[in-house]
Amino acid sequence: MHTGTTLDLFQSYQQEINSYDETIGSDGRVKPHWQTLFASLERLGIKELEVRNQEIINRLRENGVTYNIYDSSDGLNRPWQLDPIPFLIEQKEWDHISRGLKQRALVLDLMLKDIYGPQKLVKDDILPPELVFDNTGFCRPCFDIKIPSQNQLILYAADMARGPDGRMWLVDNRTQVPSGAGYTLENRRIMSKLLPELTEGMFVNRLSPFFNHFSQTVAGFANRGKENPNIVYLTPGSNNETYFEHAYLASYLGYTLAQGDDLLVRNGYVWLKSIDGLERVDVIVRRVDDDWCDPLELREDSRLGVPGLLHVIRSGNVTVLNPPGASVLENSAFLAFMNITCRYFLGEELIMPSIATWWCGQPKELNFVLANLHRLIIKKANRKQKFRSMYGRLLTNEQLNDLRNAILQNPHEYVAQEEVSLSTTPSLIDGKIEPRLASLRAFLVSDGNDYQVMQGGLTRSSAEKGRYIISNQYGGISKDTWIVSDTMPEVKSKIVVPKSLPVIHHTSLPSRTAENLFWVGRYSERTMALTKFLTIVINALNENVAFRGSYKSEYIDILLQSITHLTFTYPGFTDEKNEEIRENPYVEIIELIRNAQKSGSVASHLSSFLQAVISVSDKWNNDTRRIINLIENSQKKVVNADIQNPNGFQKVLDKLHIRLFTFYGIISESMPRDNGYYLLEAGKLVERVLSRISIIRSFFSFKNDENIESELIEALLTNQHLLVHYRQIYKTSFNLEATLDMVLLDNKLPYSLVYQLDMLSDCLSQLPKNAQSDRLNQAEKAVLEASAKIKLADISKLTVCQPSTLFREKLDGLLSEVTDLISSVTLSLTHLYFMHTVIQNVLLEGTDNNDIHEV
Amino acid sequence: MKYKLTHRTHYKYVVPVNTYHSLVCLKPQTMKGQLCHSFSLHITPHPVEVVPRTDFFGNTLHYFSIDVSHKELEVVAESVVESFPKTILSESLSMTCQEARNYVWNTHLLKAELLQYMLPSPFITWDDEIRDFARDCFADTLPLYDCVRRLCHKIFTEFAFVSNFTSLNTPLKTVLKERKGVCQDFSHLAIACLRSMGFPARYVSGYIETLPPPGKKKLQGSDASHAWLSVYIPNMGWCEFDPTNDIIPQERHIITAYGRDYGDIAPLKGIIFSSGKHTLSVSVNLVPLQHG
Repeated sequence: MHTGTTLDLFQSYQQEINSYDETIGSDGRVKPHWQTLFASLERLGIKELEVRNQEIINRLRENGVTYNIYDSSDGLNRPWQLDPIPFLIEQKEWDHISRGLKQRALVLDLMLKDIYGPQKLVKDDILPPELVFDNTGFCRPCFDIKIPSQNQLILYAADMARGPDGRMWLVDNRTQVPSGAGYTLENRRIMSKLLPELTEGMFVNRLSPFFNHFSQTVAGFANRGKENPNIVYLTPGSNNETYFEHAYLASYLGYTLAQGDDLLVRNGYVWLKSIDGLERVDVIVRRVDDDWCDPLELREDSRLGVPGLLHVIRSGNVTVLNPPGASVLENSAFLAFMNITCRYFLGEELIMPSIATWWCGQPKELNFVLANLHRLIIKKANRKQKFRSMYGRLLTNEQLNDLRNAILQNPHEYVAQEEVSLSTTPSLIDGKIEPRLASLRAFLVSDGNDYQVMQGGLTRSSAEKGRYIISNQYGGISKDTWIVSDTMPEVKSKIVVPKSLPVIHHTSLPSRTAENLFWVGRYSERTMALTKFLTIVINALNENVAFRGSYKSEYIDILLQSITHLTFTYPGFTDEKNEEIRENPYVEIIELIRNAQKSGSVASHLSSFLQAVISVSDKWNNDTRRIINLIENSQKKVVNADIQNPNGFQKVLDKLHIRLFTFYGIISESMPRDNGYYLLEAGKLVERVLSRISIIRSFFSFKNDENIESELIEALLTNQHLLVHYRQIYKTSFNLEATLDMVLLDNKLPYSLVYQLDMLSDCLSQLPKNAQSDRLNQAEKAVLEASAKIKLADISKLTVCQPSTLFREKLDGLLSEVTDLISSVTLSLTHLYFMHTVIQNVLLEGTDNNDIHEV
Repeated sequence: MKYKLTHRTHYKYVVPVNTYHSLVCLKPQTMKGQLCHSFSLHITPHPVEVVPRTDFFGNTLHYFSIDVSHKELEVVAESVVESFPKTILSESLSMTCQEARNYVWNTHLLKAELLQYMLPSPFITWDDEIRDFARDCFADTLPLYDCVRRLCHKIFTEFAFVSNFTSLNTPLKTVLKERKGVCQDFSHLAIACLRSMGFPARYVSGYIETLPPPGKKKLQGSDASHAWLSVYIPNMGWCEFDPTNDIIPQERHIITAYGRDYGDIAPLKGIIFSSGKHTLSVSVNLVPLQHG
C-alpha cells in the first residue's frame, strides 16, 4: 500500500532519469511492457525484490557461475552478477533488429569467404588491402579451409547499443569464438526460478529454439552416416575467463568437454584420448582462438591446439566451428566498411547502422580524426594488440599530442569511433531502482545458408552511474533480456525428433577428465582423513591441557608423530631433538591446517581438491555444485582461521568434514555409475586404505605399555568410525587383537581394510579393459594380492612383538606390503588410462646451422 | 643446367617419439627459368600419409605424420631440376627509385597484390637504425635495380658470414649491430631495408651449387640450402638478388619457395611429443647431370 504522498517505484525511477531511457518510447510515452513490469515490481515490493536479489546472488554462487578476471586480487573466480530487473525489448522492435543482425551475418559471411578466396573486395577497391594483409586475424594457412556448408561463419555475436535516435546501433562483432550464450541461458534459468512473477501480463520469448538450432547445425556437420557422432567442445582450460560457460554449455548440449591435448591427429582424423582408447571426433565446437588451434601451421608455441588439425579440416574429416581464420572479421576498422560492403554484395543498405568509425589509413579520415581527437575513442584496428581504448575527452593536451603523434607514425594501425552513446535502463542498485547505461549482445547461428537469432541476449549494464565501459572484465552487471509481446509468440521452430536415437548411449571420458576425477577422489579423502585425525589430536591436546587430563606424554607424542607420518611433513613431530615443537604443538598443527603453501596441509589438499573439481565442472549436477561451493567457503575459513582459538579450528574442521561427507553422499546417490564414477571411487578408496594404514602403523608397529595402547586403541576406533560399534560388542575393555580383527578383517564394516579392498577391486573391475578382457590388469592384481594378504593374516600373530625392540614385525611387515601394493595402483591406472601428458616440442630446420659460404 | 638435388635431414632423439607431425617445403618450383623434372620424398619410418598442398604463396608443401615409436627420423627429398640462364632486359633497368615507389603504391591492383611484401612480417621489422643503414644505398633519381645491388654489396662487404652465431630467433637489430650472420639473416636484413624504403621484397629459399676450390674434388654434402631475396621492380617484375654472395642468382641457384620471410617457408617444420633432446643433421647435394 502506498499513500498519495509516496511515489510509486516508477515515478521515483523517472525522477532519476537524466538521459534517454529504455522505458520511454520515441513518442515520449512509457513503453507499455515496461509499465507492466513496473506494476509487477510494485506488487512484489522493493523489499521482496531485495530478498530475491540476495537469492539470485546465492544461487549464482551455489551454481558456480563465475567469470574469471585476470590479475584480480581475489583470485581467479569472480561470481557472475545478475540484475533482478530484466531488459525488455518488444517483439516488433526485435524482429526489426533481427533482420538487421541477419543481414550483418550474411555480409560478414560473404566477406569471410571473399577474403580467404578471390579477394574481390580488395581488388575492386571496396576494402583497403591493409585491412586484409595487415590484419592479425588474417591467417594465410587458412586460405584453403572450407567447411561443408554454404555459410562459413556459423556462430556470430554482435554487440549493440541504443543511440539517441532510438535505434539500435552495432558496436562490435564477435566472430571467432563468440562468448556469452551460456551465461545468457543461465541468467534465464535463474530468473525463471527465482522471479517468475515478473513475467505477469506479458509473454517472454524462449531461448531454447536458439539452442535447438545450434545443436541441429552442429549435428548436421556430424551426420555423415554416423549413428552416434562424437562432438567435442574444445576449451583452453579452467584458467580461461569464460571457462564456466564452456563447461556449462558442453554439459547442456551433451558434448564432450576437452582440451587441446585430449585430442590428437592420426591417420587423417582427429581422435579423443578417452579411457576406452581413441575415439574419432566428428565436430569440434571451439573456444580456442584461431591462432592457437594448430601449432604445426599457426602459432607454434601453442599448447592449446591440436597439431595437424588444419590438415584434417582441409581433408573434410572433421568440422571445426567457427572455422579457423574467422578472427579476420574482428578487426575494428571493418565497421567503417560495412555499409559499402553490404551495398557491394547485396545491393542494399544496412538495416542496422554501425557506430561511426573512421579508419586512419585513409587521408581524409585521418585528418578528420586528428581534428576531432578530443571527442573520439581511439582503438587499434587489430584487436589482439594490447592497447586499451582511449577516450579523447579524458586525455590531457599532452596525452592528446602523444596520441596524435602515435597515429601519424602508423595511421593504418588506428581506428577512431564516435563515443558510444548508450541508453539507460532500470537496474537494482543498493536497494533502489536506478537508471544505468546498458549494451546488449545478440547471438546468431547459421542453419546452413541463413541465420537464426536468439530471442533474447546478454545485456550488461555498468555498475557505476554514468560509466560507459561495460565489460565483464571491468565489473559490469548482466541482465536477462526479454523479447516481449502481448500475445503468445508463435513457435516458429519446429521440434525435430532425431531419426533414430542411438540404442547404446555412450559418453566419452577424456583421459584428462578421468585422471582429474580420480584425483578428486584422492584429494577429498586425503582432506577427510587429515581433518578427522587432526580433530582427534586437538581433542586429546585440549583435554590434557584444559582439563588436566591424565594422558601420558608418550601418548601425545605418538599422536603428534602420527600426524607427521600421515602428512609426510618430515621431520615435523618426528624430530626427537626438537623440544620446541612438542612443547607448543599447536604452532605446527596450525601450519598443517591453514598454510596452503605447506604441502600436506589441509589447506593445500583442499586447494588441490578444488582445482581437480573445477577442471571437471561439466561432470557435476546442481546439487553437487552447491556442496562444492560450500567446501570452497570452508577453504576460505580454513585459511583465515583464528590462530589464537583452537576451539575455532575444531569448528571449522568439523564443518569441513561434514561437507565433504555430504559431497560423498551426493556423489554416491546421484552420480551415474560410469567410468568417471568408478575412477573417483577408486581414488577415494586408494587414499582411504593408505591413510588408515598409516595411522595403524604409527600407533602399533611398536608395542607400548598397556595404558597408552588402550588410549591409542580408542583413538584408532574413533578414527575408523567404530568406537560405538566396538563398545557394543566388547564394552569398555580395549584389546588390540579384537581391534585389529575389526579394523582389518570385518567385512561388514565400511572402514575395515578388507571392505575397502573389496570395494576397490570391484571399482577396478568396472573400468574398461584395453586388451585381454578376461584377465586382470596390473591394478586389479595388486589389489587382489593386498586383499588376500589381509584375509590370510593370523591376527593373533600380528600382535606379537620382539621382546628386545618391542617391534611388531609381522604387523608392520604386512601393512607395509599392502601400502606398496595399493600405492602401485595409481601408477598402473596412469599407464592404463591417463597417459596423455606428453610434452609437445617444435622442431624447425633452419638454414642457419648448415650454411657454407660460397667462395 | 640440369641437377640432381638431394636434401637429407636426419633427426636423432634421446627419448623415443611416438607421434610426429611435419610440414616440409622442399619441392623445387617449376616456373619461368626453372623446371622440376621429378621430385620424391623418402621418409623413414614410413609415414601414415604424405599429402601435397599448394600454400597461400603458391609453393608446394607436403604434410606427413608418423605414429610409430621411433628414435631416428630421416627425410630425403630427391629431385631432378633444370635451370636456365636468366636474361635481364637492359632498357627496363632505368626505372628510378622514386618512379618505382610511386608506381607500386599508387597502382591499386598492384598494391593489393604486393602489399604483404611491403609491410612488416613476423621475422622482418625495422626501425630508424635499419632505415639509416639502407639510406645511403638509395637515391630517388637512381635506378632501383642499381640501388638494390648497392645494398647487397654493402651487406656483402660489411658483414661477415659466420655460422652458428645467429639462430632463428636472433633479431635483425643484433645482426646489424654485430655485423655477422648467415644467408638467412642477410636476406632478412636486405628485405627489411627495402621495405623500410617503401619497396616490395620477398624471401626466397632454395639451394646453391658450390664449386670446389680449383683442382680439388667436390665433397659430398657440401652444397647447402640457401636463401636470398626477390624485389619487385615495375617493368621488370620480380628480380632476384643474393646478398650473401653479392651476385645475381643465375643457373646455380635453385628456387624452392617464396614467402614474406623465413617463417612462411621453413624447409622442414615438425611437432613431436617427447620430452627428450634431439640432434639434427642436414646434408644437401646438388650434382650437375651430364647432358644426354
